[in-house]
Amino acid sequence: MKTQKKIMLTGNKAAAWGARMAGVEYVPAFPITPQTEIVETLAKWFADGTLQGKFTNMDSEHSMFMAAGSAGATGVRVFTASSSQGILHGMESLYTITGWRTPMVIVNVSRALATPITLEPDHNDVMSTRDCGLIQLHAETCQEVFDFILMGYRISEDPEVCLPVLVNLDGFYLSFTREPVLIPDEKDVRNFLPLYTATQPVFQASRPMARASAVFGGATYTSFKLQQELAARHAEKSFNQVAQDFKKYFGRFYGPLETFHLDDAEYVFVMSNSFATKGKSAVIKLRQQGIKAGLLKLRLFRPFPSEAIASALGGCAKVAVIDQNLAPGMGGITYPEIVTSLYSRKDRPEKILSVIGGLGGKDIEDQDFMAIIDHLDKPDRGTPLYLYDEGDVKGFNRLQQIAKFNEALK
Amino acid sequence: MWRIRIHGRGGQGIKTASQILGSAGFYSGFQAQDFPLYGAERRGAPVIAFTRISEDIILERGPISSPDIILIGDETLLNDPQSAPLCGAEPTTLIFVNSSHTPESLSQKFSLITANLNDLCLQHLNNRTVYSSALSAVGARLLGNIDLQDLLQAVEDELTPHGISSSALKGNLDLAREIFASLQPVDILRKEEKVLTAKSLVLPSQLPVVDGAPIILEPGNMALRKTGNWRVERPEIDYEKCNNCLICYARCPDGVIGIAPDGRPEIDYDHCKGCLICAQECPGHFIHTVREMGTFP
Repeated sequence: MKTQKKIMLTGNKAAAWGARMAGVEYVPAFPITPQTEIVETLAKWFADGTLQGKFTNMDSEHSMFMAAGSAGATGVRVFTASSSQGILHGMESLYTITGWRTPMVIVNVSRALATPITLEPDHNDVMSTRDCGLIQLHAETCQEVFDFILMGYRISEDPEVCLPVLVNLDGFYLSFTREPVLIPDEKDVRNFLPLYTATQPVFQASRPMARASAVFGGATYTSFKLQQELAARHAEKSFNQVAQDFKKYFGRFYGPLETFHLDDAEYVFVMSNSFATKGKSAVIKLRQQGIKAGLLKLRLFRPFPSEAIASALGGCAKVAVIDQNLAPGMGGITYPEIVTSLYSRKDRPEKILSVIGGLGGKDIEDQDFMAIIDHLDKPDRGTPLYLYDEGDVKGFNRLQQIAKFNEALK
Repeated sequence: MWRIRIHGRGGQGIKTASQILGSAGFYSGFQAQDFPLYGAERRGAPVIAFTRISEDIILERGPISSPDIILIGDETLLNDPQSAPLCGAEPTTLIFVNSSHTPESLSQKFSLITANLNDLCLQHLNNRTVYSSALSAVGARLLGNIDLQDLLQAVEDELTPHGISSSALKGNLDLAREIFASLQPVDILRKEEKVLTAKSLVLPSQLPVVDGAPIILEPGNMALRKTGNWRVERPEIDYEKCNNCLICYARCPDGVIGIAPDGRPEIDYDHCKGCLICAQECPGHFIHTVREMGTFP
């Protein structure tokens, strides 16, 4: 095993360390809670010479992502970060730069979307970037944040991928949570992730080129879009190769999915990001009560590892997909993707329940997991199960009394 | 169903012609649909518009690849490979070309009608480059199932929102009336329905990113795209009077006015789009504009 130091880091600091150890050369930045700590930390490192390259404060996330893509097209290693309203503001640029096929790593610190505006996490922000053509890795721990950034550059810079990789972590629950993180020696990181040399033509002053050409005609557009699709699909293979390599260098292995007590599980929770830790804890407690629960955690969300998910959940009796996001009028966003993956399997679960929870940072507690088990045993009621309880109603009513205080109407 | 495809250039009223024809068909009691197709809107660039007129519900949308009637407003398009106005024409397809000529190569293969709309447009509209009323009147008359009154109503309804004066509207109505009277309906043969066969689809294979992304490495390839045929009018420098001040050279937005070895400005007609800014800017008014027509000598 190589030398690695272990230090207490927040998820944000772990992200900054990931960028630092990757040797990033350009960081366009725009602050937003709960992400700001990442770019603040990097700004300091660029200022004191720890990092060589350029850190630029941009005027918005829209220009920030365009700057990131443009810098990637010059052949330097690029990092940037955003969150919530910010990543939505940059949405047009995200679709644009994935089409340019320039590598980079983007960190999104999940925060729920307005309205009502809030700072706490859920996954509607990152889910909205689901179809941009980004490769998405979702982190449960600060260690995963750090490791996924290093892996992310390898995947993004794979000549057969050349798509931006987005690493997601939950605001507050991970971004501001400190826990021990192993940081390897820089020379060991260099063996795993050498400094960047572009494998594709890049912008040079001496050599004009265009990489955002307009096309007229659906067939040409389709050709380029299908190439993006093939590259994104190839990223699953790339992820698996990089994961093997990562294990070889650092001893930690990451599959596209993590299974937890899944082998004999009768009840399975499908989760992602930091709340998966809560799910694991509930699984242990439920098992102590004789309930055979298990958990499937999604790490690689784009490309969607349908085969791996179908293999993991095939043969499980009852599955609950917990979405910390909401598509109003539809329900959970990952639920239909999981169901689709299983549809053609003969051994598909007898019941797959859609659960909505953790919106706007609302906690998911052990009793919620027990409520899900109860619900999985009941006949189907058709709609998603909302993790919303008496206490929530009470608190909401109290707030309404203040908001609609009679005196205000006079 | 009758499928009419109209070809012309940006600024010639091609889209409006398809709309007048669509409305005229609709007023005459048919189901109708019209639709234009163009890139970034550019005066002089090839434009296509489509009108479908049917006794039954129209279950088609988008471009017409196999037209019953092709109306070509600008004969210079016949030689434009990007426009390809004859694409999809069959021996039964009726082709109308705004021309004073009868191209023999065409009349051997297709049912061809030509008429010189330019003089009529000049006479009624004092303008030889806008064909919306003229072409739609040609289409309506050739179809034979559209009433003159419905055509005139459609001309009025489609042109009024453009804010034209009452005298210009009268000119358009007179123009449509005259063209309608001067042509005869043509018996359009219905095409036989073809048996549907499946396309053979291809599973795409991944390309290296240099080909998989819309990357252009070859600079200056616009030289290959001859935009000279977008011109409706051509600037001509009167070298007898030109004093080589080179203001035209400086003002040309497309950089197609060069300087000849002897210091004179020189227009690259392969790429000049005919914006005529040079003619406007020439301090001595030594650049004249000449109407360009005629692929066929």
